[in-house]
Amino acid sequence: MISFESVSHTIGNTQIFSDRSLCLGKNEKVLILGKSGIGKTSLFRLILGFEQPESGKILVNGLTLDKNHIYRIRQQLFYLSQDIDLKDEIILGLLTNIWEFNFAKKLCQEEIHQQLTFLELSPDILQKRTRELSGGERQRIGLMIGFLLNRSIWLLDEPTSALDDAMKKKIANHILSLDKTCVIISHDHCWQDHSAVRIERWL
Amino acid sequence: MGAQDLSIFSLASLLVFLFPILYISRHLELGINKTILIGMIRMCLQLGFVGLYLEFLFKFDSPWLNGAYLLLMISIACHSILKSSNLKIRIFFKPLFFSLLISFGIILLFFNGVVAHIDNLFEAKYLVPIGGMLLGNCLRSNIIGLTHFYSGLKKNEKIYLYSLSLFNNRTQALKPWFKESLVAAINPTLASMTTIGLVSLPGMMTGQILGGSIPIVAIKYQIAIMGCIFYAEYFSVILSILFSLKTGFNAFDVLKTNIFQNN
Repeated sequence: MISFESVSHTIGNTQIFSDRSLCLGKNEKVLILGKSGIGKTSLFRLILGFEQPESGKILVNGLTLDKNHIYRIRQQLFYLSQDIDLKDEIILGLLTNIWEFNFAKKLCQEEIHQQLTFLELSPDILQKRTRELSGGERQRIGLMIGFLLNRSIWLLDEPTSALDDAMKKKIANHILSLDKTCVIISHDHCWQDHSAVRIERWL
Repeated sequence: MGAQDLSIFSLASLLVFLFPILYISRHLELGINKTILIGMIRMCLQLGFVGLYLEFLFKFDSPWLNGAYLLLMISIACHSILKSSNLKIRIFFKPLFFSLLISFGIILLFFNGVVAHIDNLFEAKYLVPIGGMLLGNCLRSNIIGLTHFYSGLKKNEKIYLYSLSLFNNRTQALKPWFKESLVAAINPTLASMTTIGLVSLPGMMTGQILGGSIPIVAIKYQIAIMGCIFYAEYFSVILSILFSLKTGFNAFDVLKTNIFQNN
């Protein structure tokens, strides 16, 4: 569950938003719609603790977002950034690192191949470097990390923008069927049209 | 047997080469003549002052005075490192001071006590010149290391934050920048270790030979010093990055924006 209580946010001298409230129940899926520059990405940066609000209160699964709870909160969050900002390295090394660090056990090859099949990626991609990936491959690798981490709250910033229509639909349907709380920023219709999604319009 | 003394006139004779340099730089409009002149004047004044001061230090040879001089050297080095790394002195001085004091202090005392077997570990004759040599090299490597680390992070902040969200651990998310910075910082010394003796004879060895030591003794000292320089650089860069994290990042593990001299 995520709760925003009268949150105002300023970066430098620019007010990004003021007195904003938002409440998401467990496993609820919310799509945030609004013009560019209205502070949609800032919403994620606030939940992740990358930026701090000027005023107001943010709660994640009952924990107040502050320096004492940030580790426990981040443990529950999976964030897919718009540009999938990954450091340049070989994909298999990246996935292994993330998996082994988070779960302190060896990465299961079967799990990887299952995900590759679902995301319609060739196993050869594991030997590529992140900078060699196309936009669509990058997005699917980002989602694959999410599936592997299996955290309870997903923050997805344009998760399907670089995919073709069939893949957009497949991914959206799959994510929306998971027992996860999801906040999605997307202009793709596959999210808007889905019955499981509550739409929040930011004006 | 010591090296032959140089008269003031002999030293001044070296200015013969400075005049054409000033002329060429001016002709090419390099805009560095003022810097060259200030550099030359500062070098003469600073070394002249150190010469006088060292005579005083060697004469009294008090461990307290020598130790205090060493602390002063470390403070000046910290100031210089932070200024060159574009990092704010008031934020990073303390962590850097202690990282240098620990790493360089241990190596220096080890050299004096275990390698050179000096009875008085704080004997000015060893402590000041060898300390200066180690610190001079630590200065260079720390400038490279800290600049690489913090500028690299600032430039790639989004990548760092994304890693932080995936690992939920600052140390793990910082690992790539830490590794790159350490390698960049020690690379110049590693390169000079592989070519030493082939391309250049180091200053200390040259000085010792001119001062009357036989070459094999000078070589032994040089090997010991090169080792100590490498160790001191390696440990001081690691410690200065680690110690600086507490002040460089906020409680949410985000790089502070106000740590750079020029934002």
